[in-house]
Amino acid sequence: MLFFSFFKTLVDHEVTVELKNDISIKGVLKSVDQFLNIKLDDIQVVEELKYPHLSSVKNVFIRGSVVRYVHLPSAAVDVALLEDATRRGTWNSEMG
Amino acid sequence: MSFFGLNSRGPQDHGHPAQAPGFGAAPDPFANISQNQGLGQEDNDAIDFDDTYDGLGDQLQEADDDFNDDTFGGGGITTKSVGKDFDFYGSTSKVTDAINEEALRYNHHQPSSKAIVASSSPSKHASKAFKTGYEAYKNPGYIPDLQVDASLWGTGPPQIAEDYGAKRSSRGAGPSYPQSSSGVPAKKMMSLEEVEAAMRSQPKRPSPSLAPQQQAQASGPFAMPPMQQQAPQVAPPQQAQISYPQQMPPSRHETEQAARPGDFAQAPISIQQRPQSDHHVVRASQVLKVELPARSSPATQAPQVAPAPAQILQRGQNAPHQAPDAQASPQPRQILQNPNRQSAQFAPRPPEQALPMQPQRRAPPSGQNGAQVSVPIIYHPSQIMHLSDEERNAYLVEEAKRAKRNHKIFLLSKGNGLMTPQDKNFITRIQLQQLMTATGNANEQDPDASLSEDFYYQVYNQIENRPRQNPQQPLSNFAQTYLFRTGGRQGGMGKRQRGGDSHMQRMEQQVQRAVEAAKAKPKNKQLVIEGSLGKISFSNAKTPKPLLNIKRHDSSNVSNQQSSKRAQVALSTTDRKAILKNIEAVYSTLMRMEDHDRRLPPPPPEDSDPTAVQKVMDWQQAFQDLNENLWRDLKVTEPILPDSAILHPFIAFLSYPKGKKAIPRIFNHIDENQRLTILTMIMVHLDILDVIRQAQPGAQPSPLSREQVDLFLQAVMPSLFSYVTEAPLNIVIGLLGLVTERVNLSAVARTRVGLEVLTMLLSRAAIVKATEATDDQTWDEWLGIYNRFFDLLEPLLGEVFPASVNAGQDQYVWQFLAATGSGANPEQQQRLVLAVKDRVMETLQQSKTLPPEMAFQRRGNVNLFMQAIGLDVDLLDG
Amino acid sequence: MADAGDGDVAAVSEPLDLVRLSLDEIVFVRLRGDRELKGRLHAYDSHCNLVLGEVEETIYVVEDDDEEEETVKTIKKQSEMLFVRGDSVVLISPQAAS
Repeated sequence: MLFFSFFKTLVDHEVTVELKNDISIKGVLKSVDQFLNIKLDDIQVVEELKYPHLSSVKNVFIRGSVVRYVHLPSAAVDVALLEDATRRGTWNSEMG
Repeated sequence: MSFFGLNSRGPQDHGHPAQAPGFGAAPDPFANISQNQGLGQEDNDAIDFDDTYDGLGDQLQEADDDFNDDTFGGGGITTKSVGKDFDFYGSTSKVTDAINEEALRYNHHQPSSKAIVASSSPSKHASKAFKTGYEAYKNPGYIPDLQVDASLWGTGPPQIAEDYGAKRSSRGAGPSYPQSSSGVPAKKMMSLEEVEAAMRSQPKRPSPSLAPQQQAQASGPFAMPPMQQQAPQVAPPQQAQISYPQQMPPSRHETEQAARPGDFAQAPISIQQRPQSDHHVVRASQVLKVELPARSSPATQAPQVAPAPAQILQRGQNAPHQAPDAQASPQPRQILQNPNRQSAQFAPRPPEQALPMQPQRRAPPSGQNGAQVSVPIIYHPSQIMHLSDEERNAYLVEEAKRAKRNHKIFLLSKGNGLMTPQDKNFITRIQLQQLMTATGNANEQDPDASLSEDFYYQVYNQIENRPRQNPQQPLSNFAQTYLFRTGGRQGGMGKRQRGGDSHMQRMEQQVQRAVEAAKAKPKNKQLVIEGSLGKISFSNAKTPKPLLNIKRHDSSNVSNQQSSKRAQVALSTTDRKAILKNIEAVYSTLMRMEDHDRRLPPPPPEDSDPTAVQKVMDWQQAFQDLNENLWRDLKVTEPILPDSAILHPFIAFLSYPKGKKAIPRIFNHIDENQRLTILTMIMVHLDILDVIRQAQPGAQPSPLSREQVDLFLQAVMPSLFSYVTEAPLNIVIGLLGLVTERVNLSAVARTRVGLEVLTMLLSRAAIVKATEATDDQTWDEWLGIYNRFFDLLEPLLGEVFPASVNAGQDQYVWQFLAATGSGANPEQQQRLVLAVKDRVMETLQQSKTLPPEMAFQRRGNVNLFMQAIGLDVDLLDG
Repeated sequence: MADAGDGDVAAVSEPLDLVRLSLDEIVFVRLRGDRELKGRLHAYDSHCNLVLGEVEETIYVVEDDDEEEETVKTIKKQSEMLFVRGDSVVLISPQAAS
């Protein structure tokens, strides 16, 4: 649940989702679920000329499994907190 | 069932399919039944239905009135069904042909009776088929329907029993169950037994008398009493169907032939008709139903089924003799079955039967047909031939529709009855549980547990939305923890900036206080001013530089070599993985301690009960244990091996970014002695700290090392600073002594971190001297250390500044010089001025070219130092 | 680790415990599709989902030039903060500090 928790804090931030088919979609993160499915608003395909079929789409739902990367605004990430949250995840598993 | 299937096929061969789609459909249902018994009921049903449907279409195209007779006699259009039937029925089919012919004749002679018979027999088949189909169709009622059907069947049998006795009921129940729900194994078995029972019971029936009454239709009541069987049949069509075939055979055996069976069939029909208003309509509907059942009814062998079962029964009982009789009777039986269904469909029966649904659905189509055709009631395929084209077409269309719908229903009903209500409840419960786990029940869960699942989001929101903080939430503690931390390098830039700024401000304030304290000291300002001014004025001449530079070079080179050696050795031999494990262990302990803080019990009141006190004691004990863990993981107290090639584990710890970041949190959870120990360790190894070792001006500092310096200043320095700010003079003396005696000062002095550490110590001493009462001995001790330090520092003063004046990144140097100058005696101040006068002038000169704001800041930096030694930049300008 | 009582260097019991040692350290990640990442590891989970900071991505592309010789071309991209979905990850390796 770490990344679900993490992405929830990025709602309403602009992110760029790079899919496994090399399409990159920039948009405002509107919602995310525990499968890391992603909903983007006000999207813009990065290489629009290359993928004109998405040029008229304003918002998308992206199945989590097709995502390769999500480029994030670093100012919206509390790195220290994120690392501790990661540690807590492993720490809990240590506790069994 | 196999017997039934054979029988059913026999009829098909006769050509029912060709003329009347309904008949054609019938054969398939029989096949279905047989299959069902053998295998899965549902699947078989579906298949049968399909076959049936196809047969109908072919028949429709091929059907000609002229050929009807031929068809009946000649054989089945549907070869498939024939083939199936053929094995068992080889002989029977011939018999059935003969029967058909007889039936045709009979029909011609007595149209009404034929119609009745035809309708009745199909109805039986249809009812079975319809039941399944309807249930499926009505989807919502699926399971309930099935159950209801079963119960109905159960109830049905009793009714039959009432009429005819246990035998019939058992028979009826057997067949009905398989039809309605799914494959009931009892069917075949029951049928055999029932057959025997029926055989015996049949003699009782007044078949001949009933027939006429039924045919008359008006004589319903009469029919009812004699045909008790019929009545029950009517009510539950399925039961009726089953019972009929069974009953039929016996009657046939005993007496005779087509006519009698037909009569029997008629009886039920008549009953049905009675409830219904229009006989014609009923008939029509019945006919339609008959056809439908035949197609749909996998279970009971539908239209043909009716004959088939009868034949089977007969065979089983009186094989040879019965055959002819059976042949004569089968058609009529089918008719009878159909009527049953129709009746059920039509109004009266629905309530009685548990399967009202099916009948109702069927009813509408049948009613339409009836209305359209009005007079012509198709109880037998031959009738179709006599219909007008319109009528026939309408009939066929209607049949096609029904077949289609029933087909769909069968497809839908494949899964019917697979799960019991209990199964469904079980599944539902599992799903609910899954929902609960997915959603999480906040009320039940330990807040810590739920927090760990969503830690980042919860704490992040606490930090980012402080105004909205709910003080009651335990999270606020977390927010505090992370809020006051310096934050990460990439992320939280704003926070880091704040942290860095606050540190710089605090350092500046402390230096300022030191300078103020120094000002308070009585000095001969004039001398200093004159001397410095005079020298500064000459300083532009480069005479003093060479001397100083030479010395510096020597010392710096040596020291550089030493420090680099030491550093390299240390690095290469450090067990990186072990250190990282230490660090992660520290973090684990830290987080436990932070959680532990949140569980701090309220202080027990004076006269509190022992348990409250015990709680506090336990908490303290746990805290102590954690603290010991933390201390052990830090490795601070590992022995210092002066010439060891191995980097001290704590210094290695500090060389990692996350080690540095941990320091503030560590300082929050350790006591004063532990803090001092850490501070001491840092002082002893000051020159081999990565932030000093890798920041030597000679080497081009990598971006990473610069980040490390920033991180050290943001994360580590404030912790050290906050301790030193409160430290007594003797501790400052001790720390400066360590730096002086055990550390390569030249390496330290040329780095920002080194200078800031020194500034921290020197300014603290100046403040203590000015604000606190200090005994002379301690002060003398300080002066001794300071003098030694100054002597070591003086040759390095030319190298303390970063490369370029223009960069303007030298505020910390001026702070250091100010701190140094504030503790210096006049002679040392003079030397200080001499060493840096060039830089002073360059900076002042350069500041004049800058915008006012920046110029003011530069001059302020310099002036901080100037004031520390009793001067002011304004004097230089003057 | 604290659970082990000693807090001392606990035995690394699971592969991902090794990854934890690289938290806030620079790591090298190899991905499906001839891609490599180098950046500071800020988060991971059991699916090998990652968050990396100051990432440099290297993509290896094989190209046929005019003489039909295959040449490997590298494309480098930077990202200040990157979430990497775990199902693309082939390996995670600690990268010795430069």
